Amino acid sequence: MPMFQPSKKNGFLGGGDGRVLDLDTAVKDGVLGGVGGGGLGTGVLEKLDLNKMIEELNLSTVPSVFICPISLEPMTDPVTLCTGQTYEKSNILKWLGMGHYTCPTTMQELWDDMLTPNNTLYQLICTWFSQQYVQMKKRSENAQGRASELLSTLKRVKGQARIQTLKELQQLVSNHSTARTAVVDEGGVALLSSLLGPFTSYAVGSEVIATLVNLTLCSESKANLMQPSKVSAVVDVLNEGSIDAKLNCVRLIETLMDDKGFRAESISSHSLLVALMRLIRDKRHPNGHLPGLALLKSISIHNELRTLILNIGAAPQLVELVPFLNPECIELALFTLEALSSTSQGKQALKDCPKTIPTMVKLLMRISEICIAHALSILLSVCKLAPEECSLVAVEAGIAAKLLLVIQSGCNQILKQQAAELLKLCSLNYSDTMFLSKCKLTRTIH
Amino acid sequence: MGSVCCSQQHGRADSDEIEQTAEIEDRIERESKAEEHIQKLLLLGSSDSGKSTIFKQIKLLFQNGFDDAELKSYIPVIHANIYQTIKILFDGSKELSQSFSDSSRFHVSDENKEIGERLSEIGSRLEFPYLTPEIVEEIETLWQDNAIQETLSCSNKLQVPHCAHYYIENLQRLSNPGYVPTKEDVLYARVRTTGVVEIQFSPVRENKRSGEVYRLFDVGGQRNEKRKWIHLFEGVTAVIFCAAINEYDQTLLENETNHLMETKELFEWVLKQPCFEKTSFMLFLNKFDLFEEKVLKVPLNVCDWFKDYQPASSGKQEIEHAYEFVKKKFEELYFRSTSPDCVDRVFKIYRTNALDQKLVKKTFKLVHETLRRRNLFEAGLL
Repeated sequence: MPMFQPSKKNGFLGGGDGRVLDLDTAVKDGVLGGVGGGGLGTGVLEKLDLNKMIEELNLSTVPSVFICPISLEPMTDPVTLCTGQTYEKSNILKWLGMGHYTCPTTMQELWDDMLTPNNTLYQLICTWFSQQYVQMKKRSENAQGRASELLSTLKRVKGQARIQTLKELQQLVSNHSTARTAVVDEGGVALLSSLLGPFTSYAVGSEVIATLVNLTLCSESKANLMQPSKVSAVVDVLNEGSIDAKLNCVRLIETLMDDKGFRAESISSHSLLVALMRLIRDKRHPNGHLPGLALLKSISIHNELRTLILNIGAAPQLVELVPFLNPECIELALFTLEALSSTSQGKQALKDCPKTIPTMVKLLMRISEICIAHALSILLSVCKLAPEECSLVAVEAGIAAKLLLVIQSGCNQILKQQAAELLKLCSLNYSDTMFLSKCKLTRTIH
Repeated sequence: MGSVCCSQQHGRADSDEIEQTAEIEDRIERESKAEEHIQKLLLLGSSDSGKSTIFKQIKLLFQNGFDDAELKSYIPVIHANIYQTIKILFDGSKELSQSFSDSSRFHVSDENKEIGERLSEIGSRLEFPYLTPEIVEEIETLWQDNAIQETLSCSNKLQVPHCAHYYIENLQRLSNPGYVPTKEDVLYARVRTTGVVEIQFSPVRENKRSGEVYRLFDVGGQRNEKRKWIHLFEGVTAVIFCAAINEYDQTLLENETNHLMETKELFEWVLKQPCFEKTSFMLFLNKFDLFEEKVLKVPLNVCDWFKDYQPASSGKQEIEHAYEFVKKKFEELYFRSTSPDCVDRVFKIYRTNALDQKLVKKTFKLVHETLRRRNLFEAGLL
């Protein structure tokens, strides 16, 4: 029988990237149970533990020989085919079960269907992962200890030292869950919050906020952070910061709003909304649009804050922005605009903006049902304000055909009713024939 | 022949001129380029809002402060302030004794009346004698009089300067023959700013290389024809607007309007000026220490602008609450007076006490940081 000669080329053994387990390194690292090998050279670990470790570690730098060529995941039960290729048992069984009788990597026909457990490889995998695990645990504990140290340092230092401490703490907290717990348990949240105030410099403020967003905040901490002087500090960073700092501010504010004891009054700040609108309209950083709009939506839910949003001229700005946004963002923007249109000031502002009606008409029957719902609601609010004037604009923009499509589409009943109402409103000023001609209807619908 | 010689001579003269012109133009260009890098700050605010104190603080912090000669030059001012204060109090007590029903508490005792008349007469002159120990004694006696103390407690109706307490307490020291004013004495000195004063300074000490240069202008606070010259300040980097928030219960000399309402009007006016469309606005809510003292005793609602204020608690919390209310009012005013395309201007509010040097330094550091970040942002580097 022809015997397949395995090629000695690099990367052939076990997968694509060419990282063969180097024997020298393996001995040094103690993976092969050599000197000083992490103390776990002889332990036989249960398969379950190995799975747990692999999941917890979630490493991307696993040696390629440990990876199953079929699933590209680390193997927990490696078996070798007659061709000499090793696979994860469950995967190769599935392959063979599908009726294939070939080796997946070499494409050879199998002359023997025996699956030999590759104990050697299994031992190597277990040892390697155990080592990594122990190292990680040590780092975590270190992280915890380091975090405590940093907190006590923070109580003492000022100036540049304070900024450096904060930077290190922020890194620690974003990388290690143990650090996060340590900070929260040792009153770190209150300490960090105390650094926010009327005289907070940008450097300190941005690091504090970047750290706080990674921590779980209890209701009391949130209430503490909602004090006017602290909110002002956050708003300052939102106004002046780098894009990352701004995104952190947005996240923090969202967290603070997500609390039973939240009072809308605490964020009723013009400066906050101006800063938010600036983020939303920043063409240089499109990754800020979605978070910004999401926060604006959350804010517009509160009645008392709608006037503020309108006062800074946000309505026409949003309308002008809509055509340039991606679908997710459009939905959020429309939600806000609909919320604004529920107030009389909002209706007026939307009516005064010449682009409102054309933009809304264009959105009908595009994107999603939610968008249609918002657009219809906005159009109704605006048109009811000044039916004659608005229906003219709307019809010119081609609203009639769109509305008919809505009515005939698979949308829910309420939308169809709204569309019908709007259609009626728009048609009031036209004679039947004129209106139909404006609809540009095809003969069938006619 | 002659004409050839003549034209040659002319030729030489011309080339000299051309060279000179070129040199002058070159110099103009170089200086204008240098000017561009200087960031100009304009101090605005109604009279007595603390602008000049801030000006002096900047001088103390970032320049070489005041030398001996400059310090001594303030002695006449300080003495004048003392005379003026005592005169205001004495005249005020006479006025109040006429308008109040229980006028007896404003009646100066007979012995002191004579002192009062004499001092009042001095105070109305244009030049003042140096403070002698005798005069000091007289002033102190008069100050101790109950009527004067009563008058002092009604100071919101009169224009008693804040420096009154400070100077009277230090009278002995101020009247010494070899007296040299301290920095604090100079900060308290009140003199009306006329014309425009300016200083140039660089706030960065540690890292000399990135030293930004600022030029600070202080234009007096009088109600003169601002609209005629304000446009000359177009292109300033920032306006520092000082508002003394403790003045909510004080009325103006000239026309009986409330101080704070006057500030409000002025602020509105400044915001709407087209020359400031792109200018950053730093609002200094000044005299916070006096505000702290007053707000627990005199409710904010006495000022029309704050008539919808509801006290929420007491003590320190109440002070904070009141301050936040005032801050919000100014914020609202700012956004009301700002057209939508100016909304991107930098606008920040700072709580200050112009007499506290540390605070002014901290505040200015923050202002500097904000302006720097704004520059980076506009240069597209942020």
